[in-house]
Amino acid sequence: MDSNIENNNKKPILEAINLSKRYEDNALALDNVSFTIHPGEIFAMLGGNGAGKTTTINLFLNLIEPTSGDCKIDGVSCVSKPLEAKKKVAYVSENVMLYPDFTAMQNLDFFIKLGGRMNLSKDEYKSVLKRVGLQEDAFNKKLKGFSKGMRQKCGIAISILKDAPAILLDEPTSGLDPKAGAEFVNLLKELKKEGKAILMSTHDIFRAKDVADTIGIMNKGQLVMKKKQSEIHNEDLEQLYIKYMAGYMENAA
Amino acid sequence: MLKLIVIKELKNIIQSPKFTATFTTLSVLLLLSFYIGINEYKYSLEQYNTATLLANDRVKDTRSWMGVSYSTYREPKPLQYLVGGINNDIGRYSTIVHSDEVKLRNSAYSDDPLFALFRNIDFSSIAMIVFSLFAILFSYNAINGEKEEGTLKLIFSNSVPRAKYIIGKIVGSWLGLVVPLLIPILLGLLLLLINNIYLNGTEWLSLVSLIFISIVYLTFFIALGTLVSSVTKSSVASFMILLVLWIVTVFIIPRVGVMSAAQMVEVPTISQIESQQDAYSKDRWQIYMDELSDKWEKRRAAMAGMTDEEKEAYEDDMSYAWMEEDDKARKQVEKDIADYNQKLNEDYVKRKIVLEQLALNFSRISPASLFQLAAMNLATSDIELKHRYEESMREYKNRFMDFAEKKQEESGESGMFTIKMSSDGGFKLNDGRQEGGLDVSELPKYVSPKQNYASLLNSIILDSVLLIIYSVICFGIAFAAFLRFDVR
Ligand SMILES: Nc1ncnc2c1ncn2[C@@H]1O[C@H](COP(=O)(O)OP(=O)(O)OP(=O)(O)O)[C@@H](O)[C@H]1O
Ligand SMILES: [Mg+2]
Repeated sequence: MDSNIENNNKKPILEAINLSKRYEDNALALDNVSFTIHPGEIFAMLGGNGAGKTTTINLFLNLIEPTSGDCKIDGVSCVSKPLEAKKKVAYVSENVMLYPDFTAMQNLDFFIKLGGRMNLSKDEYKSVLKRVGLQEDAFNKKLKGFSKGMRQKCGIAISILKDAPAILLDEPTSGLDPKAGAEFVNLLKELKKEGKAILMSTHDIFRAKDVADTIGIMNKGQLVMKKKQSEIHNEDLEQLYIKYMAGYMENAA
Repeated sequence: MLKLIVIKELKNIIQSPKFTATFTTLSVLLLLSFYIGINEYKYSLEQYNTATLLANDRVKDTRSWMGVSYSTYREPKPLQYLVGGINNDIGRYSTIVHSDEVKLRNSAYSDDPLFALFRNIDFSSIAMIVFSLFAILFSYNAINGEKEEGTLKLIFSNSVPRAKYIIGKIVGSWLGLVVPLLIPILLGLLLLLINNIYLNGTEWLSLVSLIFISIVYLTFFIALGTLVSSVTKSSVASFMILLVLWIVTVFIIPRVGVMSAAQMVEVPTISQIESQQDAYSKDRWQIYMDELSDKWEKRRAAMAGMTDEEKEAYEDDMSYAWMEEDDKARKQVEKDIADYNQKLNEDYVKRKIVLEQLALNFSRISPASLFQLAAMNLATSDIELKHRYEESMREYKNRFMDFAEKKQEESGESGMFTIKMSSDGGFKLNDGRQEGGLDVSELPKYVSPKQNYASLLNSIILDSVLLIIYSVICFGIAFAAFLRFDVR
């Protein structure tokens, strides 16, 4: 409860304001979505395939333009000032892809400098790679031999090292083994303590319940449910999820 | 940030296994082209020196300045062995003799047809085929490949302006391909030095320009690859498109250019012209011989009924007049033949120039043609090579003939044939030979046509500028396309 009071006093880091996106083929992928995420808050987006989670994240990264509405990072519009907004956000995609002929360290070096942090030492890279659980003998190996989970860990390391106030995670735990998944949850908790605002899309209801402060359920482009974790602690999130999905379908029918 | 992107791109190219493989192959081919060129040049130079000496010896052994014949040789130039052009297709010497046209004969290929197999292993052919392929291999997926790999999305999740990124990528990939390429090229130049191949100042400048032009040519294909990869979705598609474009620009257009132009203007081939000339000269001499026997018929008829003594006296009286008459007729024949040949040649040259211009201008839509034309001009193995040498040899022939005539007058030769008709029939020729050989010390020297760097530069300016314009256009379109490229 304390954290909620705290949050309300601070200004939000991530804001979606009546965000809509219609693709060229006329499918409304995102329908009037609004939410805010404050420093030290984790927002977990649940929803079936094609619900609009990746679309939301792409809008924050200005990889696509919204049909209407706006989204802001730390008060800066991602639509009108994308370059400035992107300085304040780190991103991990659902399938992290890095340069296959570069080693983990070289990839880190390039993407971190691209993110604007020019003066980090090799030791700092290594300590973060250790922190995300990448085995040490892989640090100087070329990426093309890496498994999906190992790539995912590198991507997470890059997002941590960027040290931005906002973090966008698109199914970050996909491909991680159970141990790495659990470690990642701890990592998220640390980042939350550092005051990051985190938007995470996931299919993992249990982890979402464990780590998230706010849970949103998306269906066909609409944010059909948004609840504080404290509001749902006694309910079974899985039941809720199925209820909302079904309920939406009944409504739609 | 630009520097960061440039270095990333450079490293990405150099660290790839694809690079190791293609770069090694390319280096071996380049060095091989230098090695073969150097050896061919040395061999040709030796042949040239021996042949020139022999030609001088032959003049020395001749006993009369009358009807003396000499041979002038085309001096091999080192760059012609890096850029073959038409060097091996055209003749290497011409005989300088009163009775015949100046004409280059005996090409290296006619001498040794096996040699023609190595036509495509000179530096310019290697550069034309391999540089372009090399550039395409590394740029066909420059943009869409990064999208397929997924790195583009992560890059643009950062505060990176697209313009900066594409410029950094182009500069980086250019450096990544060109800088390593300088290593085998410099090694090739080192081979020239080790082998004591002498290049004069103009030739050094031309060689440096040749390297520059090859790099511009390579740059064009990097630009083309980047362009295609930024307007297609998949790297497989862009590779196929580029492969087709490569075949069309490197193999088809340079050839179709000549063929289609040939259909527009009908030009007889050289052998057609030669056979026409031969036929005319044969006919003309036949007429001369017929007239000559008619004349003798009449002369003998005039002597009919004379005693042997009267005949001899009559012949003695008339011989000078007859000789003059016959000589005049012979000279007329030579003049007629020369005039005819000249007319045919002029016609041929005129039509050929039209044809060449058409073909060249058409083929200039292909960067490979532009490169080849510029390279040939720099190495002086261009299509004008034959013309230049024949012109200068013709000019030399005039000097040579004047000299021979002067010598002949000094030595008091009559300069005319005396033709004796013996009673047993048949002619007897007497050309009044001089005993012993000729003094060749004052013989005018033949010097190869010289070209200075300014005129060479002038001859490549159009093609170089076009090549640069093509590259800039491709880069421009690639740039504009990338600003609108969907990086997801
Ligand atoms: N480039 C595109 N063009 C047209 N439609 C698209 C495009 N990208 C996504 N869509 C559509 O937008 C909708 C939302 O897609 P989105 O990728 O945001 O879903 P998601 O929630 O991330 O799903 P998943 O869980 O499978 O990752 C889907 O119906 C999809 O078909
Ligand atoms: Mg998705």
